[in-house]
Amino acid sequence: MEGISGWFSLRGKSVNSIAYSFHRLTGLVLLLYLIIHLSFLTSLRIGEEAYTAFISTTVRPETLPLDSLLFLATFYHAFNGLRVVLNEFGLVYELRKALAYIMALLALAFWVYSTYVMYVFVMG
Amino acid sequence: MIMEVIKHDIVIIGAGLAGLRAAIASAEKSRDVSIAIIAKTYPIRCHSVCAEGGTAAVLREDEGDNFDLHAWDTIKGSDFLADQDAVEFFVREIPKEILRLDNWGCPWSRREDGKIAQRAFGGMSFNRTVFAADRTGFHEVHTLYERCLMYPNITRYDEYFVTNIFIEDNSIKGISAINLRNGEMTFFNAKAVILATGGAGRLYGFTTYSHQVTGDGLAIAYRAGVALKDMEFVQFHPTGLIPSGILMTEACRSEGGYLRNRDGERFMKRYAPEKMELAPRDVVSRAMWTEIIEGRGIDGPYGSYIALDLTHLGEEKINERLPLIREAARKFSGIDPVDEPIPVKPVAHYTMGGLHTNMFTETTVKGLYAAGEVSAVSIHGANRLGSNSTAECLVFGRVAGEKAVEYVQGKSFAEITKEERLAEEKRVFDEFLGRSGDENPYEIKKALNEVMDRYFWIFRNGDEMKEGIKRIQELKRKYENIEISDKSRGFNTQLIHAMEIGFMLDLAEVVAFGAYAREESRGAHYRLDYPKRDDERWLKHTLAHFTPKGPKLDYIPVTITKWQPVERKY
Amino acid sequence: MEREVLFRIRRFDGEHAYWQDFQFKARKGMTVLEGLYHIKESIDGSLSFRASCRMGVCGSCAVKVNGRPRLACETQIFDIGDTLEIEPLDNMSVLRDLVVDMDGFFRKHEAVKPYLIRGGDNYGNPKELMQTPKELHAYYDFSLCIKCGACYSVCPASATRSDYLGPAAMTAAYRFCADSRDEGKDERLRLVSGSEGVWRCHFNAECSEVCPKNIEPAKAVQKMKLMSAIRIIKSIFR
Repeated sequence: MEGISGWFSLRGKSVNSIAYSFHRLTGLVLLLYLIIHLSFLTSLRIGEEAYTAFISTTVRPETLPLDSLLFLATFYHAFNGLRVVLNEFGLVYELRKALAYIMALLALAFWVYSTYVMYVFVMG
Repeated sequence: MIMEVIKHDIVIIGAGLAGLRAAIASAEKSRDVSIAIIAKTYPIRCHSVCAEGGTAAVLREDEGDNFDLHAWDTIKGSDFLADQDAVEFFVREIPKEILRLDNWGCPWSRREDGKIAQRAFGGMSFNRTVFAADRTGFHEVHTLYERCLMYPNITRYDEYFVTNIFIEDNSIKGISAINLRNGEMTFFNAKAVILATGGAGRLYGFTTYSHQVTGDGLAIAYRAGVALKDMEFVQFHPTGLIPSGILMTEACRSEGGYLRNRDGERFMKRYAPEKMELAPRDVVSRAMWTEIIEGRGIDGPYGSYIALDLTHLGEEKINERLPLIREAARKFSGIDPVDEPIPVKPVAHYTMGGLHTNMFTETTVKGLYAAGEVSAVSIHGANRLGSNSTAECLVFGRVAGEKAVEYVQGKSFAEITKEERLAEEKRVFDEFLGRSGDENPYEIKKALNEVMDRYFWIFRNGDEMKEGIKRIQELKRKYENIEISDKSRGFNTQLIHAMEIGFMLDLAEVVAFGAYAREESRGAHYRLDYPKRDDERWLKHTLAHFTPKGPKLDYIPVTITKWQPVERKY
Repeated sequence: MEREVLFRIRRFDGEHAYWQDFQFKARKGMTVLEGLYHIKESIDGSLSFRASCRMGVCGSCAVKVNGRPRLACETQIFDIGDTLEIEPLDNMSVLRDLVVDMDGFFRKHEAVKPYLIRGGDNYGNPKELMQTPKELHAYYDFSLCIKCGACYSVCPASATRSDYLGPAAMTAAYRFCADSRDEGKDERLRLVSGSEGVWRCHFNAECSEVCPKNIEPAKAVQKMKLMSAIRIIKSIFR
């Protein structure tokens, strides 16, 4: 795992390689979420009470910040992913730093807005 | 103590232009010979990559160039000390080398019509210097290195430092080398050995040479009995960047740059009114040095200098033809040549002298060949024209490779005996590395550089050289008392450096003796007490043989075919 | 102008790795390489490092300075600061002090057939090949690679997979594929299209940031990806 420790050191790196690290970290977060989410859903096999109990833990005001972080991870991974697709086809190479910043900003913007909508919806 | 013995038919020492070209030539000539390339660095770290300006070749006979013209330029440039039969052979071989490199992928700069471009160069009466931007040596080396990868019978031994060669009955039988990685002594049994180890420029302090050019092959062969020829002729290139000595290629001047003194004057019109800045290097260096010592140099933090003015060429031309120069000037002296003139001074640049060979790269030892700067055929005589050295490496690298293949047919290996191997191990590790002493080898090197810079520079005179010889001999005595503080084996660069300094001391003595004995001025060797060329007494090559007391000098005649010596004016 | 500077160097004697501090006076214009030579010649002769041309063309002296790979000969001490942490390059095993094992790096370069592949050339009687300045320009910048290993040192793919070809090798492959005189494009594409080739690159692009010659290896690898993808798609329809 020696090479993977490189993802966590940001010293002296450019915006594209920091984005590379974040893409992998958000990917791991999303993977973790997926596993938890699917295990919660499959609790339906056990019965409706078990399912409702699991789900009710996820819609409490205390767990909303976790959801918000999930939005951040998702939007970052999605927009950054678009950037990666473009770059790996050899497109937008010269302006790659600008593109990385733009995608990060878009992700932030979407995250702020979606968190706002979520709180409004849940808290009323 | 493992003392491995590896057998190869042909062993090539040195992986620069000449060494790599020799390997390819051998492999092309025969699939069956096993070829080893042994070098103290990876091949692409060689000094040949620093060559910038180009390689001269008669490519366009239909446009007015011809072989006799190139030969004449070379012979006149050599101040008539070049062996004319070798030069005539040499100029006829280069064009094919250029085209082979083209076939192998070298990115030659091109004319608009797609043909290989050529530019003007000092001392050449036709624009015949083929170039790849201003990194010609770099591209040639990489092309040859990559081509070498195609041949299965070439094996490379990277980072092996050669310590000695073994000769029996005047035939070569092998070499010894330290495997830098683990510090073990490895022996190579060979039927033929090609030395392509380069020159000895690090004798001087202000020099264009890489750190590793310490004359290893020259010194080892000299000690083993091969004569050194014309070592007193050291070329001083006019434009070395201050303060590092990094080369500012002759192409700066051939693309239109000017040399100016403190009055802004293009002073070359007083020394070489016809060729101006494109006179041969010895003429220009002497002119510049005269300007400096007569007080017309420009003052700077590192002493007086001359201005190399490229400002009138324009950014586009500089970026296209001289990109490396621009980068180097900015990085290593903080000057952008587009805006300001570059501060330069004459700098030690090339060793015209070398191991005595004939035009087939054969030395006096059977099976031992030498090609490239390490050899003196002699093509360059007393002064080398720019863009002829890379050409020499290519042509004579090929000759050496092919001759070696011919030589090894039907030969068998001669054994390097166990006693010889143990003796070499003992000499290097017990006696040299293991001894204790008081002197720091690096101090000796610094002192040697100072002696050479002071007493054996562009303008020499008898009394100073006599003093210089005394000082060199003093340093040789001090060298017997050095201590190598790093006693470890793995990648011990201090041991390597100390051995290199020993080589350089031997070579400095040969340069000094040869320069002191030659009572005339010819080419790059200029004496204030004998300022004229003396064809009657001195139209001959100096040969130096090793004796424990110092070099013993002999003389051999110059081969003249078509061109009788005339006055050398530009 | 002179200043006291501190070189904190990562040493390795074959068994133990440790930091060692060296203090000395540096003057303006002194490069890191000159500093290393000063230490070796006057303070500690056992310090080992590679160096040759001191002008940025041989690629010997690449080391990490404050975490970033640079050519020691091209880096001015005063541009970095008063304390310099100098370490050997990453992703290659350390042989001694600042000297790393570059054999693997060179073997990978060799693996992509980094030479012009042509059929009909005559060695004894070679012919001039035509190439316009425009065709030369298409690949020339990529031919400037000095094989210093800086790109390889920062590449995260090289850090996680020891068989990954690396930016320098694939840039060399592209340089030949883009050369109008080459006839071996298909052969080379096949060599770089495997799982240890272009498809393991995920555009970290740090290689392009640290390349001392500004060659842009990341660009070369992405262009190879496009070539490789087109070749794979074409081969499906053939």
